[in-house]
Amino acid sequence: MNIKLKNYFIALILMSLIMGCASASKKETDFYDLEVEKFSSSVKSLLTDLEFLKKEILKVNANKPSIQRILIEADNLWMKKDLKQASSTLERGLRIAKDESALYLRLAHLRLEQGLAKESSAFAERGLLNKGASSWELLLLKIYSAQKN
Amino acid sequence: MKLSLRLILFSSLTILLVICIAYVSILDSRVINKLEGVLWTVPAKVYARPLELAEGGNINIGQLKKELEILSYEQTKKLPDNPGEFSLNQNSASIFIRGFKSQEPGFYKLQFEKGRIESIKRQDGISIDLIQLEPLSIGGMFPSHLQDRILLNLSQVPTDFQEMLLIVEDKNFYNHRGISLKSITRAFIRNTRALGIEEGGSTITQQLAKSLFFSPEQTIRRKIKEAIAALLIEIHYTKEEILLAYINDVFVAQAGRRAIHGFGLASQFFFGTDLKNLTLDQKALLVGMLKGPSLYSPTKNPERAKARRDLVLTLVKNDSLISEEEYFELKDRPLKIIPPTFKSLSKYPAFNDIVTLDLRKNFDDSDLRTKGLRIITNLDPVVQDYLEESIRKTKAKLEKRYGSQLNELEGAGIVVDSFSGEVVAAVGSTKPNSYGFNRAINAVRPIGSLIKPFIYLSALQQYGKYNLSTLLDDSKLSVPLSGDNVWEPNNFDKKFHGDVPLHLALSESYNVATTRLGMELGYSAVQETFTKLGIKKRISNYPSIFVGSFEMSPLQAIQAYQTIASEGFFSPLNSIRSVESSEDVLSLSYPYKVEQRFRSEPIYLLKFVLKQTFISGTARGYPLKVLEKWKVGGKTGTSDEQRDSWFVGYAGNYLMLVWLGFDDNRKSPLTGRSGALQVWKSFMSKLDPLSYEVRRPSRIKYEWVDAKDGLLSGQKCKGSIFIPFIEGTEPEIIPQNRKKCRINKESYSSKVINKIKEAIEAK
Repeated sequence: MNIKLKNYFIALILMSLIMGCASASKKETDFYDLEVEKFSSSVKSLLTDLEFLKKEILKVNANKPSIQRILIEADNLWMKKDLKQASSTLERGLRIAKDESALYLRLAHLRLEQGLAKESSAFAERGLLNKGASSWELLLLKIYSAQKN
Repeated sequence: MKLSLRLILFSSLTILLVICIAYVSILDSRVINKLEGVLWTVPAKVYARPLELAEGGNINIGQLKKELEILSYEQTKKLPDNPGEFSLNQNSASIFIRGFKSQEPGFYKLQFEKGRIESIKRQDGISIDLIQLEPLSIGGMFPSHLQDRILLNLSQVPTDFQEMLLIVEDKNFYNHRGISLKSITRAFIRNTRALGIEEGGSTITQQLAKSLFFSPEQTIRRKIKEAIAALLIEIHYTKEEILLAYINDVFVAQAGRRAIHGFGLASQFFFGTDLKNLTLDQKALLVGMLKGPSLYSPTKNPERAKARRDLVLTLVKNDSLISEEEYFELKDRPLKIIPPTFKSLSKYPAFNDIVTLDLRKNFDDSDLRTKGLRIITNLDPVVQDYLEESIRKTKAKLEKRYGSQLNELEGAGIVVDSFSGEVVAAVGSTKPNSYGFNRAINAVRPIGSLIKPFIYLSALQQYGKYNLSTLLDDSKLSVPLSGDNVWEPNNFDKKFHGDVPLHLALSESYNVATTRLGMELGYSAVQETFTKLGIKKRISNYPSIFVGSFEMSPLQAIQAYQTIASEGFFSPLNSIRSVESSEDVLSLSYPYKVEQRFRSEPIYLLKFVLKQTFISGTARGYPLKVLEKWKVGGKTGTSDEQRDSWFVGYAGNYLMLVWLGFDDNRKSPLTGRSGALQVWKSFMSKLDPLSYEVRRPSRIKYEWVDAKDGLLSGQKCKGSIFIPFIEGTEPEIIPQNRKKCRINKESYSSKVINKIKEAIEAK
């Protein structure tokens, strides 16, 4: 990721936190919504730029070589717009390893492209439970999970 | 006079000609109909999931061995050098894979390290990151004539096999027009001398015609009919088409009620692999069987089958298809067929019933019986094997303990991958391989305390009102019913416990406290939770519903628990992975469907209590290390007068539900703990599942509270427990007598240090 992009995200996160604090003070303690509020609508707006997100997601690699091979296969199908097969290939990956964030991210994006926003969000939420996810992966997953709100 | 005689003769000849033409036309249309009808009606085949072995993936060597045994691989002491062989060492396995779809057959060596596959290498040393074992064939959807086949196209039939077949069955195939006068004359002379049928002079085309009419009789009339049909076939079809039809249609073996037709299926049936992967001796065995599928059957008459195979090898050697050395080497080989994977129509009747239910949502019966679909299911044959064994063995143990009163005890068990909702194993009887009433789907019974977590989940979603230490009233309760009737629920131990914290009321399964809680929440709130859990049935407005009069089938009940086991993510249960057409094209995929039905926080709290079942509740007795490794949770259930014994529990990604009881609903001596739980325990100890780490929801914090009054306490206070709360909902009151034993509030610096520690832990 280039420096410009990183700065953009740091700014976004800071803005989100500030807005989050503001909104938290407005609302009564709603424990569940607090985090999403913090995350703010500005991050959600990234969902309108699917091409940008796709590029970022395609850069996320898997830890296991076998899953990496599956990712390459799925990405090729994705490029050919065979979303059904790409999705089924990624699910094959999930059967082998449930702790690879790269799989959740791609599935969240593919479901969105398939017009299944609720499922996209659910895959992202599942990915967020993954203990091994990096901060960058968590941030990207958050973007997709924000759809339900 | 002369004229009228001529006229009569002419008319008779004309009528005869018309009759002949009509007969040939009828025969012609029958031949075409049969060739383009029956031959291409291929029943759907049902397969288990193919096992994937991935570099870096988890591995349980015992389970790998079991899988290979189920697939009829033979364990060898030396390195395997034939398809279908494997050898095992402490830290490695060598497998000669038979091959399946894109998976090339060949030798692969797997190196293990701490329960993981460290590397996979081919014989030439090249590293491979992923290999697949062929899936186990588990059944089919057969048409009424019960013919089964796998259609091949000519490119899937090796040339040497075609040559071998022609050498043995019809050397002049490419030179005759359906019938070979030379062969017929030779057979006629021989049969006349013997005064009976000793030799057939049928060409492959005639044999095809014969098999199309399904008549084994050897009469002159049938022979003529067969010859005309053969001529007609030759007019309509090319030699290649005829040969292919023969290869796909010829009858090779009978397996129970199922008729094995064609070499595609015969190859799978006897050797577990595609025809293209067979060695010459294996091909010779199949070709040799055509003379008499029963007489030369390698399962029924292995010696005769070997002699016939060797004869075929002699014929192909004489025809220079193989050399003298090859001939002697092939002749020395044993038959080595695999035990048929399923003799009857299905090996796993309960699982197949679930598959049929799922298939009927998208396919009609005729599609399933004629289109040659390949149905890849989620069945894990190793898990299925463990499940069957656990049910069988536990029943035997219970019979030993409780005597003949349990002879007719029945049961059902389902195992699901809680992450995806994939059904991986199912049994519908204590005799798992028998057909009949499938209790996994059809036994709709009161679920007893299995219902309680759903009610507590309804409460925990109202986080402002309920937390794990909220006190519930477990004193005597009288509920007025219609008329002068009163309903008074009781606890299993026949005692009332006064005020009890919510977590204790659930882990101890108190009926009275639960009924009060349900009534307090209201039917509509509970109904809402039921619906979110995937329960389609409406609850009736009777308070007894809260303590288990609610009826469900095992399949319905496990669906509800899938959402709980899966951190609040609902996935509809599904037994099928994909359906492919006979040309390996994906016809229908069954994608993962995930929907977040509950926030992760209330589910976390509920799962904390369900874990207590194993620590201090009805399923206690496991070492803590095992519980941590498996990440368990579960609930026992016993219906009124112990008519039903239930247990549902998850470990790793596996969620398993067991029901035991009698079909006539009589009382049993079994509770959930003494019956169904024992099956679960036996199963999980065999499976020893691995779990993957899930992040704790960020709003969950732990607090020391008193086990009885639920108010704040401290680590050093007597009777205190450390339980989770959603941040901000933890109790605030600290009784005076506990102020001293409660650890002083953390200093700012220790708070920071703890936060850093937590962050490192999370990493």
